[in-house]
Amino acid sequence: MRINTWFLSSFLISLLVAIPIFTVFSSFFENTSGTFEIFRNTFLYEYIYNSIILLCGVLIFTLLIGTVCAYLVSFYTFPGVNFFKWALILSFAVPAYIYAYSLTAFFENYGTLYSILKNIFGDGNYNQSIPKFDGILGAIISISFSLFGYVYVLTRASFHYQSENLLEIGRNLGFSKKHTLFSIILPSARPAIIAGLSLVAMETLSDFGAVSFFGISTLTTGIYNSWISLDDLAFANQLSFFLLVFILGLFFLENLARKRAKYHTPSRGGFKKKEKLHLTGLKGNLAFLVCFFVFFFSFVFPVSQMLYWTLKFPENLANLNINKLFINTLYLIFLTSLVLLLFSFISNYGNRISRSKLLNSFSTFSITGYAIPGIILAVAFITFISWLDSIILNHFNFGGIKKIFVGSILGLVVVYFIRFYSLAFNGIKTGYEKINRSIDESSYLLGYSKLKTFFEIHLPYLKNSIFLIGILITIEVIKELPITLILRPFNFETFATTAYIFASQDLLEAAAAPALFLILIASAFILITSRYILRD
Amino acid sequence: MKRLIILFLLICSNSISAEVNIFSARHYDSDLNLYKKFTKQTGIKVNVVSGNDKALQKRIIEEDKDCVGDVYITSDAGRLGAFESKGMLQHANWSDEIEKKVPIIFRSNAWVGIAKRARIIFYSPERVNQSELQNLNYESLSEPNWKGRIVIRKSDNIYNQSLVSSLIENNGKDETLKWAKSLVSNMARSPKGNDRAQILAVAAGEADLAIANTYYYALMLSGQKGEEQKIAAKKVLPFFPNQNNRGTHMNISGAGLLKFSPNKSNAIKLIEFLLSEEAQKHIVNNTYEYSILENISPNELVPGKNLDFKQDNETDVKLYWDNQSEALKIMLLAGWK
Repeated sequence: MRINTWFLSSFLISLLVAIPIFTVFSSFFENTSGTFEIFRNTFLYEYIYNSIILLCGVLIFTLLIGTVCAYLVSFYTFPGVNFFKWALILSFAVPAYIYAYSLTAFFENYGTLYSILKNIFGDGNYNQSIPKFDGILGAIISISFSLFGYVYVLTRASFHYQSENLLEIGRNLGFSKKHTLFSIILPSARPAIIAGLSLVAMETLSDFGAVSFFGISTLTTGIYNSWISLDDLAFANQLSFFLLVFILGLFFLENLARKRAKYHTPSRGGFKKKEKLHLTGLKGNLAFLVCFFVFFFSFVFPVSQMLYWTLKFPENLANLNINKLFINTLYLIFLTSLVLLLFSFISNYGNRISRSKLLNSFSTFSITGYAIPGIILAVAFITFISWLDSIILNHFNFGGIKKIFVGSILGLVVVYFIRFYSLAFNGIKTGYEKINRSIDESSYLLGYSKLKTFFEIHLPYLKNSIFLIGILITIEVIKELPITLILRPFNFETFATTAYIFASQDLLEAAAAPALFLILIASAFILITSRYILRD
Repeated sequence: MKRLIILFLLICSNSISAEVNIFSARHYDSDLNLYKKFTKQTGIKVNVVSGNDKALQKRIIEEDKDCVGDVYITSDAGRLGAFESKGMLQHANWSDEIEKKVPIIFRSNAWVGIAKRARIIFYSPERVNQSELQNLNYESLSEPNWKGRIVIRKSDNIYNQSLVSSLIENNGKDETLKWAKSLVSNMARSPKGNDRAQILAVAAGEADLAIANTYYYALMLSGQKGEEQKIAAKKVLPFFPNQNNRGTHMNISGAGLLKFSPNKSNAIKLIEFLLSEEAQKHIVNNTYEYSILENISPNELVPGKNLDFKQDNETDVKLYWDNQSEALKIMLLAGWK
């Protein structure tokens, strides 16, 4: 009986998370305006073309900087290596849309770079010679620098666990260093690299902030526009189908990569710590420069631009109600982490003790909600709630659940939950996989109940995972924009919404102060976790 | 449990005090200060959710009868019209005073203009000579002498859609399509950036002529965008087109009364307050728009600060919505990105 309760509760959680996926597709079969039918093919071509260009650009760029940095810090020592090892993950603190603000502000006509040149060289017409990073190039750069961390972290972890034995084989075979890199090191890290890239790809496809700031029409902005602006649901459905094809492809790749990763992890006994090669002279400086370049552009550059404005226009900082924004943000973080951790535990534990294949597949399916762009998720949620409300009203003469879920903290937390569930679920799952099932069985044999096993055996084991996941959720919630924007209650702002609102009235200068706080708070949390993420 | 208590308290506190709830897609920080003034005068608390126009509309539509919003505020008559056409605004029975204050072309039964703006031409005095400017109309921008010299933002921008809507109204669909095609061939670059970026492009020499709203220019001159942009703005001059015929294209920011407004009388009070001299002065000096009232002068930095230009007072701004989808179609057919 107890097993059934667990089964049912984890099934229900998965169902909740899967709601938006169903809603997005079912709502698109409703009536449709079709005013712009004649343009559909042109639009479709443009959206797919832009999405592919964006995706390829970001993938190539993140692959390059992510793996090069991971390689350098894993196999060599050079000036600053211990600093860069963690400093490179600070890029996670800068959301792509804030990167986009910085990039535009710095390179635009009469922007920051113009001011710098003018201060150094005096008056002159520098605008013509300043490169313009806008449009799709701007989006590729902004998204790449804010996401390459995924490739870096996963690849570095994989490099880290590569046994010295593996490298010795190369040496024994008389391979050159280059040969070892391309025939041994990279191929054995390939699953990790692909896993990192597929995360990057999903985030890129679902990006709304940076892409709409640069005015690029991708599948995501296309769905949003045809659904919300043009009321063309049939077309939105068609676009979602294409987006889903992309996403499922990525999921497939990622799963494949994860499976293969297991074969490449050496057993503990055979692991021999690598000797890092010390780079001196020109090579050392070069390695330093590469890492510095990436660190500078991914973190120092956007932070400096925001800091510059905050200092230049201090009145914007003075007008900001930092305490209130901070409390609002903390409040959301607290509730979201609590709910996410609780439900991921229930779901994982249910999966573990029921051992149902069906439940397992359903859980895996439900977490694909993660790949649904936040902005579409939020609208799907409102549509779903209003549908549910009308059903309840019609059949039971009792409505009003809309008031509870739309424009309330509760609704906000529910959608955050759906959006970030995969993060928490997978995190706990990874933790659980390390606990041998025989431990559970011993516990039952000793007469512990299922609940007691959970509290006294599993929880202590998973302490570190919980902590890590809590902080990852925190960072995501701090940076989250589209869901908060649509669903938040009256008079409720976060750092992200404040920055967006200033930016959307063309006051990027005033957006700088909240953006800076957002980055600094996220950075602080990243630093706390860095020792977990980069565990040696 | 705790959340339930908080929720309960929240609902209670909401039902007790006098208040008005605003959904605003016109999210100026200065508007918040204006609402504070209103609360001080009337004791009515103002609650605000701001955000992207379309997303807010979607939320209000889906919330339907449960929407506690009273007033919807946004810029551009095209947006207000779109929302009214979805049946989400209600007839407000504007008082005689409001009807006297706001000309009929700047209001409907459900919404009323609270500020005006003009979409005008900004040119480089170095590269555009006076003879080219003589009798310059929006219509003249299709002429071949402007080849490769014009910048304007994308066709998905509502200000452009409303401008083209007014051209359809005045010149007809076929003429407007021809015009749009020629305009596209006259563009100096593929459309990108906001209105301010167009003005900066002229200042930087990328183009000779830009189309942008008046308040962006004042914003640059105000120094809020830094010293460089102030200097850049001075390299560019404003020009009001169509002075010898119907006048320059005008648009509004407006407030509408939401269909299920639970605090209707407070909502009307707020809208009346927004049209008071005090509020209008606050608006013109903070957002650099023009006042909807005749006796309030614009901010010193705004082009046409003496109101000595001819405004298009014939084309009803309600038509911007009526012609909107046609306008977008024409722009897309013309290859306007």
